Amino acid sequence: MLGLDDCLTEVMAIPGALDAMLVDQTSGMAVAISGPPQGVDAECSAAALTETLRAATDGLARSCPGETVRIDDMLVTTDKGHHLLRLLETVFEGPLVIYVRLDLERSNLALARYRLQAISSQLLT
Amino acid sequence: MAPLDTLLSGLAREHSTGALRVGRAGTVFLSEGRVTYMECAQTPGVERLLAARGRVPETALRRLRDDGGCARLLEEGTVTLGELQYCVLGAVLDAAFFLLPVAGTRPKFRPGEQHWLGGQWYFDVAGLMRESARRRAYLAQTWPSAALDTAPVRPAPRLPGHGVTLDPVQWEVVIGADAEATPLDLARRLGRSGYSVLLAVRRLAAAGLLAPPEEPAVKAPRASARALQDGAHGLPQRVRAPAGERPPHDPRASGPMLGPAVTADPTDLVLLMRLKKALEELS
Repeated sequence: MLGLDDCLTEVMAIPGALDAMLVDQTSGMAVAISGPPQGVDAECSAAALTETLRAATDGLARSCPGETVRIDDMLVTTDKGHHLLRLLETVFEGPLVIYVRLDLERSNLALARYRLQAISSQLLT
Repeated sequence: MAPLDTLLSGLAREHSTGALRVGRAGTVFLSEGRVTYMECAQTPGVERLLAARGRVPETALRRLRDDGGCARLLEEGTVTLGELQYCVLGAVLDAAFFLLPVAGTRPKFRPGEQHWLGGQWYFDVAGLMRESARRRAYLAQTWPSAALDTAPVRPAPRLPGHGVTLDPVQWEVVIGADAEATPLDLARRLGRSGYSVLLAVRRLAAAGLLAPPEEPAVKAPRASARALQDGAHGLPQRVRAPAGERPPHDPRASGPMLGPAVTADPTDLVLLMRLKKALEELS
């Protein structure tokens, strides 16, 4: 059984992980942070990631009418790296979001997604 | 009397352990200067959140509190460690949001007292205050008026458009609203944090999905009196809605005021305009 801090340690053990964060989607708050890069305000980035997800949900809700949108994970690739977000439905508020930034060269996306799935099922069951 | 936050900062500096009771408003539990748990009378606590989601009934929780505590709760497997931590975290931050601004009661500190759900997550006092301030700013950014926070939630009876997207909390608020419950009543009923319901209500307001605030009762009798006077058929007159009452997303709504608010006397402004015009003519 994993606590929130151990969960973050596990996420950072994914090959190529640069930094990771747990975000509470409802309040836009950084729940736990592991080594943010220099000059990054974790609170700001958590709030900004929340807005990104909200915008994605809104956009998808409008582009697939007649569906209830539920995002399981979201991948954004930039020229510097991959950004993976995994949403965990909890019984309380939420969703709780695991965010991890991966090195473009050293990471394996399929493996990272698989590991995130495994970690989230350990966190919630 | 010192405000609650300075008092808490003091207790944190002294690495105190115990419970700070803030009148009837709530209680803050500290362990060696760090906050372990916080209760607020206005917001649902962990027990309520767990029970409302159908995970653990409140009677079972009360039994656990007296016998076994957190360790037994986790052993029985109804919640995982991660879920319990997340739940405590959410509940404490929510309580802090409503409890920290409370003033006017003399808080009483009882050394040594602990909460049975404490110790799942540790918070520093400064962090709690920073997060509360951030949430307050975000609420104001979503919808500037705090009047909605304490008024009954009344969703608009008809959708003022063709389609809308709602997030889960907004959906629950719309379903649960009975034109009497305030946002915090709804939060307790739904088992959602008070902040998330406040935010959902303000987002509904910003999307123009709430009924306009109730008119003062004076207007109605006057209107009917006039209708009688006209000898009339009692049909209400159509009145053009003043521009100021449109929701902000409406293209015809008056936009937010640009620049600093006008404070000068209008006559001064007229004088200045005339002066400007005269100077322009001169040059």
